[in-house]
Amino acid sequence: MAAHNAFELAAPRVTPMGSAAFLLESEGPMCLPTQRRIWAVGQAAGDLKGVTDTQPGMNNLLVLYDPLATEPEALQAQLLALWIATPDTPAPGKLIELAVRYGGDGGEDLLDVAQRKSMTPRQVAEMHSSAEYTVFAPGVIPGFGYLFGLPEPLFLPRRDAPVNRPLLLNVFIAGLQCNVSGPPVPGGPQAGPTGWYSLGQLIDAPAPFDLTRDPPGLVEPGDRIRFILDEVLE
Amino acid sequence: MSVPFLEVLATPPLNSVQDLGRPGQRRWGIGPTGMVDGLALQVGNALLGNAPGAAGLELQLFPVRLRVLRDGAIALTGADCDARLDGRPVPPWWALPVRAGQVLELSPPGATRRDLAAPALRACLSVAGGIDVPEVLGSRATHVRCAFGGLEGRALRPGDVLAAGAAQAPAFRDPAGFGALPPATALPLGEDPQATTVRVIPASDYDDFTEASHEAFWSDPWRVTIQSDRMGMRLEGTTPLKREVVQEMRSHGIVCGVVQVPPGGHPIIQLNDGNTAGGYPKMGVVIDPDLWRLAQLPPRSLLRFQRCDLAQARAAALEQDSYLAGLRRLSALSLMTPEVA
Repeated sequence: MAAHNAFELAAPRVTPMGSAAFLLESEGPMCLPTQRRIWAVGQAAGDLKGVTDTQPGMNNLLVLYDPLATEPEALQAQLLALWIATPDTPAPGKLIELAVRYGGDGGEDLLDVAQRKSMTPRQVAEMHSSAEYTVFAPGVIPGFGYLFGLPEPLFLPRRDAPVNRPLLLNVFIAGLQCNVSGPPVPGGPQAGPTGWYSLGQLIDAPAPFDLTRDPPGLVEPGDRIRFILDEVLE
Repeated sequence: MSVPFLEVLATPPLNSVQDLGRPGQRRWGIGPTGMVDGLALQVGNALLGNAPGAAGLELQLFPVRLRVLRDGAIALTGADCDARLDGRPVPPWWALPVRAGQVLELSPPGATRRDLAAPALRACLSVAGGIDVPEVLGSRATHVRCAFGGLEGRALRPGDVLAAGAAQAPAFRDPAGFGALPPATALPLGEDPQATTVRVIPASDYDDFTEASHEAFWSDPWRVTIQSDRMGMRLEGTTPLKREVVQEMRSHGIVCGVVQVPPGGHPIIQLNDGNTAGGYPKMGVVIDPDLWRLAQLPPRSLLRFQRCDLAQARAAALEQDSYLAGLRRLSALSLMTPEVA
């Protein structure tokens, strides 16, 4: 057995996501060590016969396969074996710094979040930008992905009903997650419904996705993001 | 070699170049896209002797008028749109030769008759050799949200000229062309003539829902609402689906066909242009071999869910495979290769 992982993890729950995918969900609180296993298993699973794609989520992994190229039951067993035998993804990824203007246009919810947390807008901005975030998983459209590392005092359940917010590389938080949403391409959607809270907007940010680059995406799971407080508009 | 083959004379918005989608790009947050009725495209490609994933046109709004710029061959599959070639009717699920200068016209499905037993929404036009647009990240599918793929990353417009990948079209033994047994006839499913039935595998959050929700999900008919497009299909039923335990959900990858239930209790089925990840609880997932049935459901039509497991889903995939293999044999008998011709 080639398992040398310092971090012992219970076997994940494996359920079908339809006729051509499995969802692996890890047990326990959301954390980085678990996510390092998720990345590693996702990478290794990509080489299994019949697997067509893999996608890390927040402490979970989606594995897509061609059911006519592999036996689903056999694949399920292979995935559980990988979970035990695959060494965690080791080193942290590259660090990217992103300047943020908190509040104002694009930071519509800063005041709301401050009031809910009995803090000043500046305290929220300082706390948010004090942490280092890890790109846990790709986002719903090309961008900076789902970020983990939000300081616990800023945890806030997502809204019951979505509201319309600009999507111009805005910094959002919800639950214990953070993300940066924006039009992935020039001319993309400029606003959209979201249950997340918009704290601010990136200043002079690099394009997260550009088809003329190879690879086209700027960040990959494991990369780290630090938000630099540019200014706070109250 | 690629040659100009079709000119778009008239089209409403939302019609686009699509293939079987863009797999393997989820690490960048890029979902499948591709033709919603992927089976219709595979049928068209089988009839014309194309590769299974050759690109075609997905037509979901009408009327559409196209001028043929060069002798060649096309196939019309999916919704029956009362197609006319220079005014002469073309049957649905049909492949035929076309000549330079001819004009093809398609009307809204159901314009002349509305058939509850065979709902129709989207038509597919395949061309010999496939629609030739540059591949982006391994696919020719239009990604409208991200504005890449297809023709300049956008929907079709009047005036567009589309190239086909085949320099020389196949010759037909019968100049009238030939047709396929439609999937709705070849692959029947369900017993309710008023509703379309699709098979669903319960998903990881299934057990969190109440018993009444389980009961309603499998036995009630669900109505497709007007809030339906290539991203997803919102459904309405008499019993909102509720969970026993409500817990914060962790975002995870999702697929076409996933039946998610937002707090209101009315399910949404994710389709080809939907998000790659989500966090709503999932009741189940429509199996891949039944996604084409969803593609043809217009607003206000009825849908029923039939419970299924992995073995049954695999059997359904094999059945569909053998249907397509039969069409490829039919095509081989009905077409003469360019060399022979």
